[in-house]
Amino acid sequence: MNVDQLAQVLRTDQDFMENVTRWEVMPARPARYADYPEGLDDRLREVLHKRGIHQLYTHQAQAVSRVLAGEDVVVVTPTASGKTMCYNLPVLSAILKNPDARALYLFPTKALSADQVSELYEMIEQAGVDIKTFTYDGDTPAAARRAVRQAGHIVVTNPDMLHSGILPHHTKWVKLFENLRYIVIDEIHTYRGVFGSNLANVLRRLMRLCAFYGSHPQFILCSATIANPRELAETLTGRPVTLIDDNGAPMGERHFVFYNPPVVNRQLGIRKGVVPEVRAISGMLLKNGIQAITFARSRLVVEVLTRYLKDMVRDPMGNAGRVRGYRGGYLPTQRREIERGLRAGQIDAVISTNALELGIDIGALDACVLCGYPGTIASAWQQAGRAGRRKSTSIVFFVASSAAIDQYIVNHPDYFLKQSPENALLNPDNLYILLSHFKCAAFELPFEDGDSFGNAPAPEEYLGFLEESHILHHAEGRWHWSAEDFPASEISLRSAASENFIIIDITDAGHHRVIGEMDRYTVPMLLHENAIYMHEGRQYQVEKLDFDACKAYIRQVDVDYYTDADLNISLSLLDIEDSAEEAGFTRTFGEVKVTALVTMFKKIKFDTHETLGFGHVRLPEMDMHTTACWWTLPDSLCARFEADALQGGMLGIANLLRIVAPLYLMCSPQDIAVIYQVRSPITDKPTIILYDNCPGGVGLAQKAYAMQGLLLEKCLDIVSQCTCTHGCPSCVGPVGEVGTDGKKTALAVLRAWVDPASEARKP
Amino acid sequence: MNLRDKLRAVSAPAPRPAPRPEPAAGDCWRKEVTRPLDEFPGAFDLSRATLMLMQQEELPVPLDPTRILYLDTETTGLSGGAGTVAFQVGLGFLREDGFHVRQLVMRDYPEERYLLREVQTALEQADVLCTFNGRTFDVPLLRSRFLMNRMDPEALELPHIDLLHIARRVFKLRLKRCNLGHLEEQVLGIPRENDLPGAEVPERFFRYLRTGEFALLEDVLRHNEQDIASLCVLLSRMTWLYEHPERIGHSEDLFAMGVALERASHLEEARRCYRLLPSGALHAQGQLRMAAGYRREGSRREAARLWEEMIARGEGGVTPYVELAKHLEHHERDLPRALEMTRQAMLRLAEPRLTDTAETEAQRDALRIRYERLKRKTQAQKSRTAP
Repeated sequence: MNVDQLAQVLRTDQDFMENVTRWEVMPARPARYADYPEGLDDRLREVLHKRGIHQLYTHQAQAVSRVLAGEDVVVVTPTASGKTMCYNLPVLSAILKNPDARALYLFPTKALSADQVSELYEMIEQAGVDIKTFTYDGDTPAAARRAVRQAGHIVVTNPDMLHSGILPHHTKWVKLFENLRYIVIDEIHTYRGVFGSNLANVLRRLMRLCAFYGSHPQFILCSATIANPRELAETLTGRPVTLIDDNGAPMGERHFVFYNPPVVNRQLGIRKGVVPEVRAISGMLLKNGIQAITFARSRLVVEVLTRYLKDMVRDPMGNAGRVRGYRGGYLPTQRREIERGLRAGQIDAVISTNALELGIDIGALDACVLCGYPGTIASAWQQAGRAGRRKSTSIVFFVASSAAIDQYIVNHPDYFLKQSPENALLNPDNLYILLSHFKCAAFELPFEDGDSFGNAPAPEEYLGFLEESHILHHAEGRWHWSAEDFPASEISLRSAASENFIIIDITDAGHHRVIGEMDRYTVPMLLHENAIYMHEGRQYQVEKLDFDACKAYIRQVDVDYYTDADLNISLSLLDIEDSAEEAGFTRTFGEVKVTALVTMFKKIKFDTHETLGFGHVRLPEMDMHTTACWWTLPDSLCARFEADALQGGMLGIANLLRIVAPLYLMCSPQDIAVIYQVRSPITDKPTIILYDNCPGGVGLAQKAYAMQGLLLEKCLDIVSQCTCTHGCPSCVGPVGEVGTDGKKTALAVLRAWVDPASEARKP
Repeated sequence: MNLRDKLRAVSAPAPRPAPRPEPAAGDCWRKEVTRPLDEFPGAFDLSRATLMLMQQEELPVPLDPTRILYLDTETTGLSGGAGTVAFQVGLGFLREDGFHVRQLVMRDYPEERYLLREVQTALEQADVLCTFNGRTFDVPLLRSRFLMNRMDPEALELPHIDLLHIARRVFKLRLKRCNLGHLEEQVLGIPRENDLPGAEVPERFFRYLRTGEFALLEDVLRHNEQDIASLCVLLSRMTWLYEHPERIGHSEDLFAMGVALERASHLEEARRCYRLLPSGALHAQGQLRMAAGYRREGSRREAARLWEEMIARGEGGVTPYVELAKHLEHHERDLPRALEMTRQAMLRLAEPRLTDTAETEAQRDALRIRYERLKRKTQAQKSRTAP
């Protein structure tokens, strides 16, 4: 069955359609072409002919001509629209015309750079010219580095390597810096939050060095669809950027199906689980030979689904290579093999985390299943974009989980279909981040009095402070680095620590083998001792976790359960920045220390999902300093409720804030965290706390503080308009969590807060 | 809170810096001492030919010992990168009246360019640069400093004798550690007293920068002067050792020198070292290396003679048997003797020992296979020659 036939069958299937809240058909879009832009080297036209490309799409032609006109550009295009052409053409043309010219390509991950460079190699080979493209990252052998520095026309790297391996050693890269013509940054939508704020500063440093060496490079940026690509590009580069978003690539017809699992208990608002439903839908695609990708939100769900789907197609030998899992933590070689398998059509079903959301080339697939809402509209479109051929029909299923935000989306498909995707927020002037990069910049090249650092505010304040701290030394109008340290090594650009744990399979005593790796923040959740760790659908039990050596030893097992760890969060106060009081409620903004600790885990049975037992986890705590906004409830109000009711009400408000805040702060849900404390150690009173979920914060809590009562008003709107009786996942949370009085209490507290006058009128 | 306060709040507080010493306008600090020539035996007698045995890089003809520049830097950090500065550079050169050590110090950052200019001039007047680990440390660092000060780093492209590599090749086997202080003590017999550990040098400079007390740098200067002088002594000493291997007291050094010479394709000189080794494990290794060298260059008879001698002396364990067996089988076509050698080798490996490794096991397997093959071949030969 092909996609068209399948769509027809499903639409006449009563049982299925009962759960479909919307079936949107997006018509096919024809290709739009433009003339080959003037000014490109003629040899490139031949190369394109050899590749079977006789005309460029409108957005490609436009991007190339704007770049040739000397503008910095950001190209916004969906997956598989030929965006690499937008930067490869001007770069290759410039090098063909002047063999001294250089270009720097930045990709957010090593995997992506490997992927994009292979296409570049092909073009260079077809042109039959001597253009050297080198990847310079942690894997580049020391012996090859010299050649890269001297002779590489196009240096492909990632922000981390640029930050710690290239900029601090710029005197070894004279050729590159003196002749740098283009800086290409792909996937800029991934540079949000801390990572983006860091990258913006790395670029400030890069541009300072270019000025020192007398080069004036242009930026060519690419982004997936987000609300503010130009703003993001301009914040990252600190320069005006031309937006190119008129996509001329063709697209076949697409079906977008919103599917809400049936309710099994109306009183409690409980629906059938998202995993079994996705198992059925992805299974149906698999059986019909429709190549599909299924996105799940956690590594655990990826593994569970992989196992289910593999079970459906195992051959008598037990092999099921047509179904593969894919996520961070698999080794690079294994991932490359899966990517190749997808492109070659040898793999029919892949189940992935958002790891495959980025532009890794896996070709276009027929179908995509979203197992739960990925958290942001931008991500959802990115993932959905994995299905969509240029000529034939494709289909996307969004299967909602019981999470409030999923329910909101599945019940308000228009919100999703019409709303523009999120803004990508970053704050290059975050105090911590900026200070760190001032150090790196001063190390790389002394500041002179009156020098600016990109458009960073008050450079003299930072420099003066660093002098006070004996890190800089001011003499004759210049600020010299005068410390022993190597500042770039102290800063990791990504919020997570760079140090990964390796996972070692000790099933075969004579042959220990590394099967994967995991970042340090995820380890306590998934690799604690006795955890069942799933890898490629196989089960392993963690036998020993050596936290200091960053190693986990696992052994293959065959059990009928998986494990799920509980994360405990506690907070302590570092500093209060600002505070305001209204009607007895105090709203405060400041800095806090967040401590995360995993203490126990649950064993959960496959298929029935019932809890079989518990276990203890003994692991060190993990600390993070960040910014927070918190609201304290007045004693007089709290005195009106029973302790249980108050707790339920606060939990309800915290749940509501988790739904509302990302929408109004325009961030993804995992960028913030909301917790409540009935008796907070910070305030000694009942308190609800929202904090930036990254060290130092990116300004989300501050924004929440500045919104005053807005977030709480929106919470009140949702809960007062919800038709459930005692709470449901779409408002305060299910009654089982918040208790029978939870919704009532949340309503009362929010009313007293938002509209104290009306509350006062009440008896 | 204003910005400065915030910055203070996120970091640990620090006291205000003390007033700095006034930098002299237009120059850096300098000091020149002349050390008597008797501290530098043989410094004028450097032979270019010997130096070319010790290292690969071309050296000028003729080689003028007074045009060798000895150089060592003291820096503000050991990790490298554009923010690391050579705040002190020591330059040494040989003259008729003695060994001159000129030390330059930048008393504050603006003096760096004067210091670098003087270094540049000294480099331009030299034919050869001699350092200890300068290839990976001092020269790249100075190149970086030249570029940062918009000066042409061309002057640094001199023929370069890096004594670290030369000394390490000879002494690593015996001494394990090969830093300059250790070599002075163990090779030159000059113990250092009250020496400032290199790792403390940057801290001294920063402390000086904050307090203006120049005395803090005295230890650094003393350390650096000693380093420069030692470079010259060590270079003469190394050439003398290469010229007089018979005077080398430690067989590890002699063996290592042989290996170094062999790697640099100075085979005759290498053999001289190997032959000089007193009997013992290293002698055996030397003989094996020598035989392998003969085999590689096609002098198989020479190689076979060495293996036979080793067997006669009962030296070198099983290897000479194996090597000789290969030679007899493939080149002499003397199958019975090859078989006999293989059998002897097998006998020697028959008993398991505590020192056996996976390699020993592989060796046993290989011998067994060789033995079987030789047997087959011998039989085939017999049946062919039989009437």
